[in-house]
Amino acid sequence: MNFPAPLHRRAAIRSMVGGSLLLPGLLSQLLAEGDDLAPKSAHQPGKAKRVIFIFSNGGVSHMDTFDPKPELFKADGKKTGIGGGLSREQRVLLKPGWEFRPGGTCGTPVSDLFPNLRECMDDICVIRSMQGEDNEHYNATLGIHTGSFFFSRPGIGSWVSYGLGTLNSNLPSFVVLAPSLPYAGLQIFNNDFLPAYHQGVRVIPGAEPIANLDRRTQPATLQEMELGLAEAFNRQHLAARRGDSELAARIHSFETAFHMQTEAREVFDFSKEDDETHALYGMTRGQQDGFGWQCLAARRLVERGVRFVELVDGNSSVNWDQHGDMAEHSVHAKNIDKPISGLLRDLKRRGMLEDTLVVWTTEFGRTPGVDGDKGRGHHSACFSSWLAGGGVKGGITYGSTDELAASVATNKVHVHDFHATILHLLGMNHEKLTYRHGGRDYRLTDVFGEVVHPIIA
Amino acid sequence: MALFPHRFTAFQLRSAAWLLGLLTGQAGEPKFYRAVNLHGPAAMLDGNAWEGEGAAKLETKGQPFENQETPLHPETDAIRSQMLRSSLIGQEVDVTFTDMPDGKYLVYLHLWEDNDEEHLKLLVNDAVVVADFPSGHHGDWKKLGPWSAQPAAGKITVSSRGGTANLSGVEIWSAPEPTPEELQALAAAKLVKEQSLAKAREWWSLRPLTRPEIPSVQDAAWSDQPLDRFILAKLEAQGLRPGPPAERPALLRRATYDLTGLPPTPEELQAFVDDATPDAFAKVVDRLLASPRYGERWGRHWLDVVRYADSAGDNSDFPIPQMHLYRDWVIAAFNQDLPYDQFVRQQLAGDLLPEWKPEHLIATGYLANARRFGSRVDDYPTHLTIEDTLDNFGRAFLGLTINCARCHDHKFDPISTEDYYALYGIFNSTRYPWPGIELEQRQRDLVPLVPPDQFAEADQRKKENEANIAKLDEGVKRLKEVLDKTPEALKATVEKAFHEAEKIVGDEKVKTQPYQLAYAMSEQPNPGDVNVQLKGNPAQIGARVRRHFLTVLGGTELPAEERGSGRLQLADWVLDASNPLPARVMANRLWLHHFGKGLVPTANDFGKHGKPPTHPELLDWLAVNFREGGWSIKAMHRTLMLSRTYQLSSTRLPEAEVKDTNNELLSSFPRRRLQGEELRDTLLTLSGALDLSPPGPHPFPPQSEWKFTQHNPFKAVYETNQRSVYLMTQRTQRHPFLAIFDGADPSVSTPQRPTSTTPLQALFLLNDPFLHEQSRRFAERLLNEFPTDSDRLQRLYQLALSRPAQLDEIDAGRQFLGQVREKLTAENTPADQLESATWQALVRVTFRLNEFVYLD
Repeated sequence: MNFPAPLHRRAAIRSMVGGSLLLPGLLSQLLAEGDDLAPKSAHQPGKAKRVIFIFSNGGVSHMDTFDPKPELFKADGKKTGIGGGLSREQRVLLKPGWEFRPGGTCGTPVSDLFPNLRECMDDICVIRSMQGEDNEHYNATLGIHTGSFFFSRPGIGSWVSYGLGTLNSNLPSFVVLAPSLPYAGLQIFNNDFLPAYHQGVRVIPGAEPIANLDRRTQPATLQEMELGLAEAFNRQHLAARRGDSELAARIHSFETAFHMQTEAREVFDFSKEDDETHALYGMTRGQQDGFGWQCLAARRLVERGVRFVELVDGNSSVNWDQHGDMAEHSVHAKNIDKPISGLLRDLKRRGMLEDTLVVWTTEFGRTPGVDGDKGRGHHSACFSSWLAGGGVKGGITYGSTDELAASVATNKVHVHDFHATILHLLGMNHEKLTYRHGGRDYRLTDVFGEVVHPIIA
Repeated sequence: MALFPHRFTAFQLRSAAWLLGLLTGQAGEPKFYRAVNLHGPAAMLDGNAWEGEGAAKLETKGQPFENQETPLHPETDAIRSQMLRSSLIGQEVDVTFTDMPDGKYLVYLHLWEDNDEEHLKLLVNDAVVVADFPSGHHGDWKKLGPWSAQPAAGKITVSSRGGTANLSGVEIWSAPEPTPEELQALAAAKLVKEQSLAKAREWWSLRPLTRPEIPSVQDAAWSDQPLDRFILAKLEAQGLRPGPPAERPALLRRATYDLTGLPPTPEELQAFVDDATPDAFAKVVDRLLASPRYGERWGRHWLDVVRYADSAGDNSDFPIPQMHLYRDWVIAAFNQDLPYDQFVRQQLAGDLLPEWKPEHLIATGYLANARRFGSRVDDYPTHLTIEDTLDNFGRAFLGLTINCARCHDHKFDPISTEDYYALYGIFNSTRYPWPGIELEQRQRDLVPLVPPDQFAEADQRKKENEANIAKLDEGVKRLKEVLDKTPEALKATVEKAFHEAEKIVGDEKVKTQPYQLAYAMSEQPNPGDVNVQLKGNPAQIGARVRRHFLTVLGGTELPAEERGSGRLQLADWVLDASNPLPARVMANRLWLHHFGKGLVPTANDFGKHGKPPTHPELLDWLAVNFREGGWSIKAMHRTLMLSRTYQLSSTRLPEAEVKDTNNELLSSFPRRRLQGEELRDTLLTLSGALDLSPPGPHPFPPQSEWKFTQHNPFKAVYETNQRSVYLMTQRTQRHPFLAIFDGADPSVSTPQRPTSTTPLQALFLLNDPFLHEQSRRFAERLLNEFPTDSDRLQRLYQLALSRPAQLDEIDAGRQFLGQVREKLTAENTPADQLESATWQALVRVTFRLNEFVYLD
């Protein structure tokens, strides 16, 4: 065998395997087989090809953001109806802290917490009748991700990756942009019983966004030499084992990893984005963190074929959980308002919004009654989420709560229904997307879930 | 009645429905027995004569209370209103009817709310009938029931707990006697049930275990071992032949990893290759089985099955500093070849065995390790922990998914909801240790590892020690205050004294600890049966069920005189000679970990949703041998490994690839990838960094500092160079290395590790600091130990791949080293680092080879 100076790794490999025991065509076979991430066909036609899932952790108040309640303004300080929340007590009602104004040409009202997003309402469908099952952050966060409020199960990102595969095998199919972890931690991005390919790869904004992405070997060409020799030995080993596909897939994984070192790095290098784009996301050039960074990274990831990108807003200690003073909501809103509206605009002008589904949700809403001094408690009986792009009807609202925003009044959308609808938009039937584990066929929606057809364009 | 795979006639279905009604007291006509206005006069209500306050054969506990001004919702007649608005009030109200004749009764309870809403737990004869009853608001009232009840020692007691209750009246009705017609239906339904049970018992895994005939084969000369005959017969039936035997180096590597999870040494390799005696391989197997490393590998297989974790899994994932005792017990049990029946019995009921031993208590850590849930104490979901217990118990010991019967009769296997709650009653009667939770942070209900007759003395000593230690702590605290005020000039001296004092006190704490606590099980003070929870909801109560074993496995009931939880009996039922499952399930697990795939591919599911065995007779032969051979696991390893089948080469024959694509018939040995733990332990072994000293407890923060919440859960990774089985395992998050390399799921049973291939694994092998560090150490070891590149290359192959290097491989290696050296020199690598850096490159190449991570 001969090891020429590795001018280019591919060329090096080719020269090394030339004349070896490899059968013709093995190389292309290698690229094709054993790849669980290869794109798969959907159950039915769906407009959305990819998802950007924004999760605002802590419990965003619906009556202060997307669900206007004039009666609650009037009822301030009264003790009628359900105060709601953890205590099951009747509580003194607290009026919303922000005015609502119509947004876009459709006029969907949004509070002053989201002035930028309000301008995008023509593309957004607000669901005002969301419902969960648990008033604890941990369980509700687990539920909105996995459909299970108590047990560890695969999250929606893993299910989508499993159901549709990736469009770019040099990048993971499910990426989570999370500077720090939300409630329930890594469990919500875990593949659980699904194959490990489908676990969310967590990106932490900063110097090394994905673990082990940085070449530790200097000079760079040394790594190529090492890979060249390993591949030559591996191919010899493979040839003596009649092309065992598992061995072949493992050889291929080094190829992918090798490219990820540059390609994944390129995704997070924003230097070629112009100033105007930076401004759109509320970013300054060179900025390496913040929610604007997460939003722009999300666009760049889906652009390169990543199926599911989750953006985590807040963590398990600093978040939207305002028990003491609702005014703090404005800090959290300000942090995401401009970046999310920038993301929607950027996707739209690039023609990507049509087949990119953008989801915004939280784990539960907040109580109409006061908590602490000027805060609100946890409230899973109803809350608001929204969807945009990817085949969703923009400029509408769906479902409603009662006049005090305490319970769902019409068109309840349970977390399972929400999941079923997202899968449907991606062309997947939530009852057919199953995985056999421990003697049972599991689904994201367990044995529940109904697609909310009226919001689909 | 989707209970059994049996077609029912319309008549049978009608009878069954009738029977069901009968048992739940809905058929026939109940007869009024007696009713009492608990705080008020006798009265006629609904045409029945109610007795008044102070009635005979009645005992009550609660404060009399009356407020006749309150308007009632809904409104009702004057007499009933008066009865309702005068009541017995209290946090714990009891109403006991005495001298009740035996029989079946129905109980109704009238209660009201005079104030703000309360949440009550209502019980009849200590069994919860309503878990969470909201009493409503000022003036609300309700008539609850009927609940079926049978007198216990002539008494029926209605109780309320949890909140302040206002109980106004209780009615007791006699449940209807069955008519002759109904009795006939009962008999018919019983017959149907027996017939369907008989049918269910025909399922392959439930059939009695008998020693099968050894099949005859054409090529009897190939092997005279029964195991091989079963394999060969199937191969011959498909016109196939077993392939050639494995080369000795491959066989040694396979056997050493299989039994110890570590590579053989070059010396062991040489000795085996040179050993010409016929029992050379038998000696190898004996040597490996005697190694303490054996238990570390096979204990891990069991820890996978029981979803072992060092934390509790609640919303804050509290650490369990004592859990490692159970982990070490498992490892020791394998090393000592503890017979499997004792292994099972000790885990289920070690605390109830006649002989008191600390390890018996520690063994019940298996049950204690069930997952905890939630953050709050007030509605702590104990039922989920019991469900997790039953789920794992079923899979681990019986290969059955009994948890499917929690909400409905099992759709595929003959397990009813009654069966489920019969077992549930056993664990509901058992006390789980409290690991701490967000709103109650300290551990309690752990089990002291001291014999009961010495406990009082030990506890006395503990209290005295605590008092002493408190004094010492106080001294240290004062010294700290002095230290803080000491002028700079004297600081160093005082600081030294302070640290010395601190150390003395720390040592004292360890030295004087009179006993250790185990995270283990004990009995509840009031064991008893439970009611079925309808649709798995503890707030919806169905009929009460006597604790018993699964009906299809005999359904033995707990004896009436039993005053404990019934775990000891449960262990007996599991291990009863009539139950074929434990032997089949465990024999299959042992096969699975040697051959990469179970004879039953679904090792945790021997039910209808699982896959049937590829070699049913072989499985039974192994299971019978296992049971009759005193349940010795080490004997089973010998049987499996000394077979010719185990010693086959992994090279597949072309004809077998056509006729037996998935190698189910085993004409060759199935190649397998090293598991995550094996990979990490091998890297540490080769680098010389592996620490084989006895593992201690994990360095958790002391309990006095615990302040975990769902907002700031316990989260830690403790680095260690000990074997991977000793890595701290959190229930809600995998260790970062094991998350990448297919580690066991710490929240549910993992019968078999998946083998995934991901770029994240490759990135680890390219760039992870751990990989680079072990490469550096290994390279320097080779450089220090051998003078020439050829010698080093030879040693590299022997250590990492367990075989000698071929000449062309040595050439290729030297050529590569030369090129790298040139490259690094051109890059101005300092001369004193050049050799190390060069060799590290070659070691990294080796660590990425398929040959390195696969066993042929």
